[in-house]
Amino acid sequence: MIFRFWYFIRETFVSLWRNLSLTLAAILTVAISLALVGSSLLIREGADQATAQFQEGVEFIVFMNADALENQNEAIRKVLDTSPAIKEYVYVDKFAAYEEFRELFVDKPELVESVTPEIMPPSYRIVPSDPDADNVTELARQFSEQPGVKEVATATEAIRQIEDFSTRVSQALLVAAIVLVAVSAVLILNTVFTAISGRRTEIEVMKLVGATNWFIRIPFMLEGTIHGLMGAGLAVPALFVVDSKVLAYFQESEAVPLFRGFAVPDGFVWSTSVWILVIGAAIGMIGSAFAVTRYLDV
Amino acid sequence: MIRFETVTKTYKGKVVALREASAEIQRGEFVFLVGPSGSGKSTFIRLINREEVPDTGKILVAGKDVSALSSWKVPYLRRNIGYVFQDYKLLPKKTVIENVAFALEVIGRPRPIIKRQVPAILELVGLSKKADRLPEELSGGEQQRVSIARAFVNRPLILLADEPTGNLDPATSVGIMRLLDRINRSGTTVVMATHDRGIVDTMRRRVIELDRGVLVRDESRGVYE
Repeated sequence: MIFRFWYFIRETFVSLWRNLSLTLAAILTVAISLALVGSSLLIREGADQATAQFQEGVEFIVFMNADALENQNEAIRKVLDTSPAIKEYVYVDKFAAYEEFRELFVDKPELVESVTPEIMPPSYRIVPSDPDADNVTELARQFSEQPGVKEVATATEAIRQIEDFSTRVSQALLVAAIVLVAVSAVLILNTVFTAISGRRTEIEVMKLVGATNWFIRIPFMLEGTIHGLMGAGLAVPALFVVDSKVLAYFQESEAVPLFRGFAVPDGFVWSTSVWILVIGAAIGMIGSAFAVTRYLDV
Repeated sequence: MIRFETVTKTYKGKVVALREASAEIQRGEFVFLVGPSGSGKSTFIRLINREEVPDTGKILVAGKDVSALSSWKVPYLRRNIGYVFQDYKLLPKKTVIENVAFALEVIGRPRPIIKRQVPAILELVGLSKKADRLPEELSGGEQQRVSIARAFVNRPLILLADEPTGNLDPATSVGIMRLLDRINRSGTTVVMATHDRGIVDTMRRRVIELDRGVLVRDESRGVYE
C-alpha cells in the first residue's frame, strides 16, 4: 500500500511537470476565479457587518455628540417615550458603543487603541411605528434638528447605498467568478486530457496487463485535484490582500455609518479561505473526473 | 482452457469479423491462427481477453464466460493472460528492466516479488546483460523478447500473441519462436496469430484457419497451406 502511494505521487508529479505550461495556465485560472469568489463573499460579509445595527426593525439611528449635555439627552428621550410615531428604541451609551467597536475591530488593536469611550457617540436605535420611507425621513429630519444631535443615520439612505453597492459589486464579481470557474474546470479537463493522450501506450499496456480502472485513473484525478488546490492556494493570500486593502478603503467611505465599519473579522477570512480550498479541490476533481470518464475508456 | 461456442462478432453492425466460430483449446496447447488479413484472427484473440465482446455465442476462459464478465472483473481476467504485440509496445523512456517491472507494479505486486521475478524472466529471455538499456538501443528481436518477458512475468495461464514475428526477419523470428515454444512447454497455453508460413510449417502445431470470419480448418498438427 505504501508502495502504491509513492507510485501515485511519482506518476502525478511526472505528469504535472511534462505539461508545465498547461498546468500553469490551469492553476492561474483557478487562482483568479477563486480570488473573485472569495472577494465577493468578503464584500457581502462586510456589508452585512456595516448594516448590522439596522437589524430587527431599526430604521434610523440618532447619534448624539460625544459631549452632549444630559438635558439634551433627556429631551430626546422624552420625545421617544411619548411620540406615537416611535414603537420602541434602544439607547447605546458611549461605553456600550465602545464595547461594540472593540468587538468589531478585535483583529485591529491599533484601531481600538486609537479610541476611548469618551469620544464614542452615544446613540438611540429607533424602531418607528410606521417603517414607510417618507415617514422615516421626516422623523429623521425632526430629530436632526434637536440640540445635541450629531447626526441621524437612516436605513433608507446609508443602508440602501451600502446594500446596493455591495450587492452590485459582489454580484458582478460572482458572475465573473462563475464564468472563470467554468473556464478553469474546462482547462483542467484539457490538461488532464493532454496528459492522457501523452501516455496512450502506457495506458494501453496497463489495461492489457490487468491494472484496475481506478489504478489507471487515480494519478490523472490527483493531477487535476492538485491543479485546483494549487490555484486555491494562490487565491488565499489574495483574499488577505482584499481584506486589508480594499475593505479598508470602504471603511473610510462616507456612506458608512459612523462607527460600524465595513470590515470582516479575521476568522471570516480564514473560514472563507478553507471554503476556497475546498472549492478548488472540487473544481479539479470534477474537471479531471470528467476527463478520465470521457477519454479514458477503460 | 479456452472454448468458443458459436461466436459471432460484427463491427458497426456490418463487417463480419467472426461468424459462428466454435473451437476448444486445451490447457498447454500451442495454437496457430492463420488466414489472410481481415479474416478475423485479431478479433479471435481480442475476444479471449475481452478487448471485444461477441454479439452472440459464448467464450469460456478457464471455465468462465468472459463475455458475461462484469467490467470491474476484466482486469483480474487479464492478469492471467499475457499479451504480445506485433509492434512490441514498449515504453520508450523506461529501461528493459523497468518495462518488465511495470507490468507487475501496475497490478500492485509487492516490491520484493518484483525484485525476484523480473531478473528471473530476463534471464529466461536472454536479456540479463541488457537490463538497463532503453528500448531504442535494442534490435527488433530483442525488443520483442522484452515484450514477451513483460507478458510472461506474471506467469499467466494463457499467452496471446498477435503477429509477434510480423516485424522481424526470419532468423530472428526463429529465436522468438524458440522462446514461445519454451514458454509453452512450461505449461502455458499459447495462441498465436501469424502470416508466417515458414514458422507454421516448421513447428507443426495445431492450426486454426479463418477465412472472412469463418473457421474453415482446425488440424492438430497442421501446416499453413
